[in-house]
Order: sequence, then structure tokens, then C-alpha cells
Amino acid sequence: MAEDVKPTRKNLMEIEDRIELSERGHNTLEKKRDGLIMEFMDILDQAQTVRDDLEESYELAQKRLNMARAMEGDVAVRGAAAALKEHPEISISSKNIMGVVVPQIESMRVRKRLDQRGYGVLGTNSRIDEAAAAYEQLLEDIILAAEVETAMKKLLKEIETTKRRVNALEFKLLPDLYENKDFIEQKLEEQEREEIFRLKKIKAKKERQEAASSE
Amino acid sequence: MTRLRPDAGAKGGGNPAYVNARIRSRRASLLDESDYRKLVRMGPDAISRYLEETEYEREMNELGARYRGVDLIEYALNANLSRHFQDLLDWSDGQLYDQLVRYLRKFDTWNIKTILRGIYTDTPRDEIEADLISAGEFTKRDLDRLLEAQSIDDVIERLSGTIYYDPLIDAYDEYEELNLLVPLENAVDRAMFEHMISGIDVETGPASRVLERHQQWTGSPAALFREFLAAEIDLLNVRNALRIAKSGSELDPSSYFIEGGRLFSKRELGLLTGDLDGLVATIRDSVYGEKLDDALAELEDAESLLEVEQAIDRALVEYGDLLGSRYPVSVCPIIAYVLAKELEVQNVIAIARGREAGLSEEEIREELVMP
Repeated sequence: MAEDVKPTRKNLMEIEDRIELSERGHNTLEKKRDGLIMEFMDILDQAQTVRDDLEESYELAQKRLNMARAMEGDVAVRGAAAALKEHPEISISSKNIMGVVVPQIESMRVRKRLDQRGYGVLGTNSRIDEAAAAYEQLLEDIILAAEVETAMKKLLKEIETTKRRVNALEFKLLPDLYENKDFIEQKLEEQEREEIFRLKKIKAKKERQEAASSE
Repeated sequence: MTRLRPDAGAKGGGNPAYVNARIRSRRASLLDESDYRKLVRMGPDAISRYLEETEYEREMNELGARYRGVDLIEYALNANLSRHFQDLLDWSDGQLYDQLVRYLRKFDTWNIKTILRGIYTDTPRDEIEADLISAGEFTKRDLDRLLEAQSIDDVIERLSGTIYYDPLIDAYDEYEELNLLVPLENAVDRAMFEHMISGIDVETGPASRVLERHQQWTGSPAALFREFLAAEIDLLNVRNALRIAKSGSELDPSSYFIEGGRLFSKRELGLLTGDLDGLVATIRDSVYGEKLDDALAELEDAESLLEVEQAIDRALVEYGDLLGSRYPVSVCPIIAYVLAKELEVQNVIAIARGREAGLSEEEIREELVMP
């Protein structure tokens, strides 16, 4: 509230400094918000493609699994699945997009050759191979989707935070500071006018006293 | 632990006339095309009800209290198949028994692999037992003995005296080294396939053309049976060689190659490993080329092996037809019946599982190999 501020020149200077700082911050944050939105739009396109691929891979994997279960039986599919001993591994590092730390997920040993899947070649057939390959592809797509969608969520969160900061500066902090500045300036001008008026009064009084003493 | 048949090794040809007479009515009760047309339109419950009015009635009623839905269909069909094939072995004598048991050992290998996998994955005994199909040489008692085994080594020890024991012992070190069942499973499969054909001693030509000239086939029934087994091994080798080549794996051919076929030697297959185009060209030039040509074109275009596998299955079904019609009083029609029955069980389970999984009629129809 402007009435809470003491209308002193020192305060005015402080407020002017704060206005200057806030305007600079506002500009920077606006630029950051716009940059983040541009990055977000790029990632959004990528995320949409990844999500479409993921849905396609999931449908294909389910279809292949259903087909393998239907034609080879549950026992054969369960047996082939249980044979896998060397499980995929993922490693997570991070990268920085305009101050936002997003994960980078790398997967290893997801896609396997026939001899790496653990089941025997003689007792299985290509329906099992195709179901396994489709699930390997699905797992790769899930890992990619996890990376892209986590980056997207983090960017979105950062955009929201930045937008709130920009709005707070633009609609709350800066208007309050300007109001305070105007208030102090008005008060100071008023004080100045009162001072001049008082000085004039004193001067007139002095002149009247001098005139009376000379008479 | 094998079924003891005092006359199993006899030189005589056995009793094919008797067994053929006994299976005539069973062959007649196999499902036909109109049954399949109805089944692909039904859901699992309707399929169950339909099967209750067919050959499978007894097993559907026996197992109805324990299982439901598609599980009931699968277990009932497998139980029916076991009963029928056990009957075949019970009725057969002499050389006929010997020939039949060679072919039906594939169910023993299934059972051994299921027990090994069950123990490997700590599956409860009841669940392992439910998945066994007692349609081979092993009796119920033999299977119970195997099910009592507490470890992989124990299973192998209990197989002492069978054709599987030595190959399993040989593969055991690799199993221990890798901690994977693959070497043991391959050893069991290889033992079955190689014994299937090795003892059938008949004169055959250097390069059989049974598929091309089956109309003019003049060999003996045993030779025709041997040709069928050789073709089955060839087609298995073709299928696995294509899988390996397509996956880009450099697996040693000795780990999947089965001796007894005519198309490849192990060395030839070794040279073609990793060369999909060379392999396809070799298969195209072979006796199987005509049957697999369209499917091989599909493999080149779409890189999918499913068409090839279906073409292989169809080629084997054609062999079955040939076996069934050539020598009415021999092992051949009996093997043809075994193939037809197996195919029927496979197809009905596929329809039920496919419908349960939400596959369309069209998708299921495409996957079926019809007799």
C-alpha cells in the first residue's frame, strides 16, 4: 500500500532502483518464458510423434503376443519369456535446457538377437520371435517416451513458474512500485510547496517586522 | 523308464491293418471345414458348448469342474489327444509301434521341457502337471517320477536309460556355464528328431523328390514314412536357418541343425549362416522351392517369416494327405491321422485363444492351417 511508505527522498531512490531492477528482471523473465515456450513446442512435436509410435508399438506388441499365445499356447510363451536372464539396463544422465535440468535416458541391451533371448531355437518359432521383437521395440519406445515426456513436464512446470513470476512483476510488483513512487513524488512535491509557502510567509512576516521597527 | 513292449523290436511289420481299422471311425469324427467356419464365429463359451457335442465331450465333462473358458478347451483338447494317441500305442505291435513311438516322442520332449522349465522357474508341481500332454512314450508313472524331481540334475538322472540322458549330460556343462535352459532344451529336441529318423532302415534315392512326384511314388510305405520324417527335419532346418539369418545372429549351426534331412548338410548351412539372400536362393532351388516360393517372396518384401512358417506347415499337411492316401494298410495312414488330429487340436485352441484375445474372424482364419 502506498500509504505505508514513508515519503522520503531516500525511499524514492530505493524504489526507483527496485523499479529498474524489476523491469530488467521482467524483460529477462519474459525472454526466458518465450524461449521455454519455443523449446516446449519443439519437444511437444517430438512427444506427439513418440506417443503415436508408442501407441502403435503397444498395439503391435499386444497383437503379436495374442497371436503367439493363440497359436503356440500360454505355456510356450511363458517358457520363452522366463528364459531371459540378461535384462535390459538404463542409465540416466541430465542436460540443461535454459536452466531446466531434464533427464537423458540411455538404454542398453533392449534389442536382442535371437541367440541373446535365452530360449532355444529348436523348440520355438518365429511367432515367439516376432512377439519378443515387438516387445523390445515397445520397451525402447517407452524409454524414449519417458525421456521426452519427463522433459516436457519439467519444461511445462518451469514455463508455469516463469509465467507466474512475469505476471507477478507485471501486474503486481511493478504497479505497486510505480504507485509508491508516484505517492512519494506527490508527497515530496507537496512538502516542497508547503516549504516554499512557509518560507514566503516567514519572509513576509520578517518584512512586516522590519517595517514596523523602522517606523 | 520307457514303455516296455516285448515285441517292440520285432522284425515283423506289426499290425497296421488292425490299427487302421480301429482309427477309421476316429478319422471320420475329425472336425471338417464347416465346423471351423462355425467355430471362428463363436466366442470361447460357445466353442466349449459346441465341443461338448463332439468327440471331445468326455474330456470337456471330466475337466469342466476344474477349468473354465479357454483353459478348459485347451486342457480338454490336449487330454483327448493324449487318450487317442495312447490308444494308438496300446493297439500297435512290433515295427508299427516302433515307428509310431518315434513320431509321438515329440510329446515326451514337450513334457521334459515343461518339467525343466517348471523347476527352473520354481513353478508349483500342480501347474507343471496341468501343462503336460501324456501322448508319447512316457507312461503316467514315468511322468510322475519326473515331476517328483527336485532339481534339474534330478530330472536328468531320472531320465537315465532313455534316449535323452546322454545328450542332456553332454549339454549340462553348458547349462551350468550359461545358467540358461537353451542347451538342455536343444539337446532334448535334437535327441528326439535324430532318433526319429535314424533307425528307419530303408533304401531311398540320393535326392528324394517326394513332393514333386508324390503321384508317382513307388517306394515302400516305410520309405514314404522316412521321406516324410526327412522332409519334416528339412523344413525345421529351413525355418530355423531363416530365423537365424533374419535376426542377424551368428549362431553356430551345430546348435540348431538337425541331422537326417536331405536339403542341407551342417557344413552347407554353416556357409549360408548370415546370408539371407543366399539361403532364400538355395531354398528356392530345392525340392521345397515351389511350395515355399510365394512365402519366400513375402519374406523378401515384408521381412516377415510368418508366411514362410505357414507355408511350411501347409507343406507338411500336404505330406499328411499323401501319407493318408498312398498305402491304406501301413503306418502311413496312422501317421496321417496323428498329423490331422494334432492340427485339429492346434486349430481349435488357436481359434479359442484368438477369440479370447479379441482377434477378428479374418485374422484367425489367416493364421489357421486348414486340413
